[in-house]
Amino acid sequence: MGEEYVKMTPPAAHTIWSAVVNGQMKQAIAPSNAILLDVLRDEVGMLGVKRGCDLGTCGCCAVLIDGEPRLSCLCLAGQVQGQNITTVEGLAEGAHLAPIQTCFATHGGSQCGFCTPGFLMSAEALLTVNKNPSRNEISCAIEGNLCRCTGYQQIIDSIEAAAAIKRGEAPALAPASNPHPNPHPMGPEEPSMPPGHAR
Amino acid sequence: MAGGYRQQPGASSGETRKDGKRVAGKQKFPPPGSGGSRPNMGPRDLDSIPESVGGKEPQPAGSHIHDRYRTGTEVGKPRALVDSYAKVTGQAWYGDDVRLQNEIIGKILRSPYHYAKIKSIDTSKVEALPGVLAVATGADAPNTFGVLPVTKDEHAMAVEKVRHVGDLVACVAAVDEATAMEALNLFEIEWEVLDPVFDPRKGLEDQDEPIHWRGKYHVGTTNVQKRVFQEFGDRSLVADPTASSHGKWRMEGVHHGFTEPHAVVAHWDPNGRLQLYTPQQVPHYAHRALSTVLEVPMHQINVIRTFVGGGFGGKSDPFPHEMCAAILSRKAGRPVRITFSREEVYWINRGRHPSYIEVKMTADDEARISGFDIDALIDGGGFASFGHVTSYYNGVLATAPYELGSFHYTGARVWTNKPASGAMRGHGAVNTRCAVEVGLDEMAEQMQVDPIDLRLANLLPPHSRTISGFRITSNGMRQALERVREGSDWDKKFRQLPLGKGIGIGCGFFISGSGLPIHWDPNRFPHATVHIQIDMDGGVTVHTGAADIGQGSTTAVAQVVSEVLALPIEMIHVRSHESDTSPVDLGSYSSRVTFMNANAAIRAALDIREKLLNAAWEMLGYHPDVLVLNDRRIYYKHDPAVGVSYLEALHKAQEDKGSLISSGAYRSPPMGGVHKGAAAGLAPAYSFSAYVAEVDVDVETGLVSCTNVWAAHDCGKALNPLAVEGQIIGSCHMGLGQVLSEKMVYGRTGHLQNPNLLEYKIPSVHEMPHVTPIIIESSDPEGPFGAKEAGEGPLLPILPAVVNAVYDAIGVRIRTLPLSMDVVWKAISSKTRSLGGIEATELPSPRLEHSLLQQTLVERGTQHRERDRRRQRSEDTSAYVNGVLFGFDPDQPLEDQVEGWKSAVEPVPEQLAELGLAGKAWLKKEQRQMGGDK
Repeated sequence: MGEEYVKMTPPAAHTIWSAVVNGQMKQAIAPSNAILLDVLRDEVGMLGVKRGCDLGTCGCCAVLIDGEPRLSCLCLAGQVQGQNITTVEGLAEGAHLAPIQTCFATHGGSQCGFCTPGFLMSAEALLTVNKNPSRNEISCAIEGNLCRCTGYQQIIDSIEAAAAIKRGEAPALAPASNPHPNPHPMGPEEPSMPPGHAR
Repeated sequence: MAGGYRQQPGASSGETRKDGKRVAGKQKFPPPGSGGSRPNMGPRDLDSIPESVGGKEPQPAGSHIHDRYRTGTEVGKPRALVDSYAKVTGQAWYGDDVRLQNEIIGKILRSPYHYAKIKSIDTSKVEALPGVLAVATGADAPNTFGVLPVTKDEHAMAVEKVRHVGDLVACVAAVDEATAMEALNLFEIEWEVLDPVFDPRKGLEDQDEPIHWRGKYHVGTTNVQKRVFQEFGDRSLVADPTASSHGKWRMEGVHHGFTEPHAVVAHWDPNGRLQLYTPQQVPHYAHRALSTVLEVPMHQINVIRTFVGGGFGGKSDPFPHEMCAAILSRKAGRPVRITFSREEVYWINRGRHPSYIEVKMTADDEARISGFDIDALIDGGGFASFGHVTSYYNGVLATAPYELGSFHYTGARVWTNKPASGAMRGHGAVNTRCAVEVGLDEMAEQMQVDPIDLRLANLLPPHSRTISGFRITSNGMRQALERVREGSDWDKKFRQLPLGKGIGIGCGFFISGSGLPIHWDPNRFPHATVHIQIDMDGGVTVHTGAADIGQGSTTAVAQVVSEVLALPIEMIHVRSHESDTSPVDLGSYSSRVTFMNANAAIRAALDIREKLLNAAWEMLGYHPDVLVLNDRRIYYKHDPAVGVSYLEALHKAQEDKGSLISSGAYRSPPMGGVHKGAAAGLAPAYSFSAYVAEVDVDVETGLVSCTNVWAAHDCGKALNPLAVEGQIIGSCHMGLGQVLSEKMVYGRTGHLQNPNLLEYKIPSVHEMPHVTPIIIESSDPEGPFGAKEAGEGPLLPILPAVVNAVYDAIGVRIRTLPLSMDVVWKAISSKTRSLGGIEATELPSPRLEHSLLQQTLVERGTQHRERDRRRQRSEDTSAYVNGVLFGFDPDQPLEDQVEGWKSAVEPVPEQLAELGLAGKAWLKKEQRQMGGDK
């Protein structure tokens, strides 16, 4: 490899980044060229935002910026300085899951679950502006998200069901076989994080 | 039963004091587990209890051995996956979400050359870089590993040479990602570049420096990793066929495309044990390989399976980066996290083999299928992976669901200097299945018969033995075909649609669990073990090693335990993440989990059930035979008021013992032939499927879009119909990708050109047709509550269905996958040229005039329908032997009846001249005299 050693990553000044993440003011010291996805995962600790491709092709990293869906892997953290960011962790209203979350569980919208946070954000953004979307409109809203497990059909079913609940046409679903008004009704299958996990 | 019975043992939970104030009463036991917010027993759900035990659930396929244990609690009900609430809240922890205290970041140096010897590696500059905490190279881990014990040909990092671009050379761990990336630039390596091989056909030729050396099993000095020859049946039937099809196929490699890139965290805990967090489908093999490579006993390693963000076979090998993380962590004394970029995911690959497949098929004057002659050359890439098995599966899984006169298969897998191929959903069966089903379509056209009727008149019945000796038990193939024919309005559409619109049929056949556990003797150790433990609180903890990769295996296990014990599913807690607490399990591959793990779980639950019933017997004085389990209560069959709550019975059963513990295991029954390779493709049950696909083809651009799919899959019994439908639709999606858009593109220089999700075209929501999933329940006699697999089999039929539909639309047979626009357009334009340069819009659409044979087929199909119905419900499960259709006596060995009936696993010398492409591997001799490993 004989040639002169060149530093790969150009040094960037660290700046204080701040934004409202899920309703809470968050600050982080990050390089000025930091990617939003990295900041959200590594600095803020919102591990529900997933990294699938780093190229804006899979949609796993979608978050809401002031209500608009956006791919956090294609977004510099500095671009959203001071704005409102919603991740999947911010979807539930207090102790109650959002209808879209419950419907993804009960209608098979989530299999391996890795793409789910991205789909939830795209769907939530759609349902905020369109209370009664057609299947085609739903397809257009989630066209930027890739799912390898479900074949999308049950995802569209889930979003339709959630829209009906939001319109008040269907009763809010108690999660399958459990009437508790508890946000995590059955609890995650196992402790939700491995021991030693830094929260 | 208004009001029901209180679940809570002991007195009422409250009383009224003299002053009128209600206060909490004294309780014998604390409330958890006793019913919570549902204190009363729910009514028995007769709709979910089979007819044969007094319920109302229809049983078209007859009763099942597990019917007695049905309580109507969970089985057959659409259920949210038990871990789905963790997923929709973002709390599910995948590989990269494991963040341990004081972690450092590992990065891997990958080979820039296709094939090269490493003469030296100098790591001094790397080590000198501030922030680098550990460096490792191949010298740190000389032991080989591999998923199959017979083909251990991988190292953690290249030891002597690199075998493809992206092969691991060295790794480094540093305080942060940027430093680790910097460090990768500082390795100084001397290479000796060797001549690479990319074309699998070249892999059959002798080479100075074969990619691997297999010692005495090496075939010449070629790169042949495995060759297979199988011949069964009466080869004389092939002569003088009424119809024949001869197709040469070229199938590109495809990747699983799971959304979660590989990631691993390794941590040597303060006690010196390795804690390895990895999204693995098969944690146990990783466990074994880690032990070999690190030279640490298995009990000093705890493999923790994180949530798995999609597997599809791509996370079932033990991976070198798992070893790297462990080695780096051992050196640095800190937890190491390695996460792949999407590009690295493609370098490690293990996707479907790029294949050259040649299929010759013949049918005789009664439209019986007299011969399949399959030749499959598959491109294994740099390592063996699951390839040994894939080489067999490419042939043997085509021996059903049809009754064959003869079967001939030659297969070879070669090493090339590309990322390794491996197991992917529909392992090995997908490509040949497509070739075979399209061949049938072509023969149907030659004979002027309906392809569905051709299939219906040539099916093996339930309880039959295939030509190569597989034991088929339940078989819902016929219902599947009938249902899709009806659902798609086939008879009004086939060969009647205008140019550019087409409809096609395809069938599938797949194993439900491999009959042979890879690492041990099935006669000594079971395939699957499940432990159940119930403590005083009544909650049921199930320990299983089954890896939930999103398919819902955890849910399936919870459901069957819940069903047997009649407890709400919230009371069942499945622990499946850690090898420390889970019994050894072979993991999620070959569609074994539902069949084997759920069976083991049922057995463990039955043990508990017996203990509970015996306790109730002691308390109530009624024999268990007249006791009923229903929703946390055990009561006398004829008077529900006489009973005990689940907790009361549990505590009675726990007297003197403490918690109730049971263990259940599953092993497959002895079966199959004795010839070499007889175990490949052997399974305790097989799934069947039939799909009809409708496509639109733009004849001017060659754009194919699939619009509708009717997908019928025989899964035995849908334990969770929501999940089964999800698997069917998801399989359609993945299969459509392979048939229409996905391929791994290797350029002229052998470089993989599309290692990202932008250029590797996974169908988006807009490419997805409307899929109508149709579940066929044939109630497998040995399956858990009758269930069989539903995860892989549903992928097979979509490929041929689409290819056949494209023929129906434009009248051109295309045998190159994927059917991308360029391929289809080229085929259309060569057709229009051959027709005298007509416009593409003037292409003639294929039409069908039934010949006299059609009537024969319909009659035979009707007779067989009756035969199958009888066989499905009959008590007699003695096998129908392949060959009866050709007039053989099932009670005599076929070898005695038919002159020339063969069962061969090696070609005779006179056959060598006529072998196909892969068959040419048999022209070389094994280097037995050379011996030893080089």
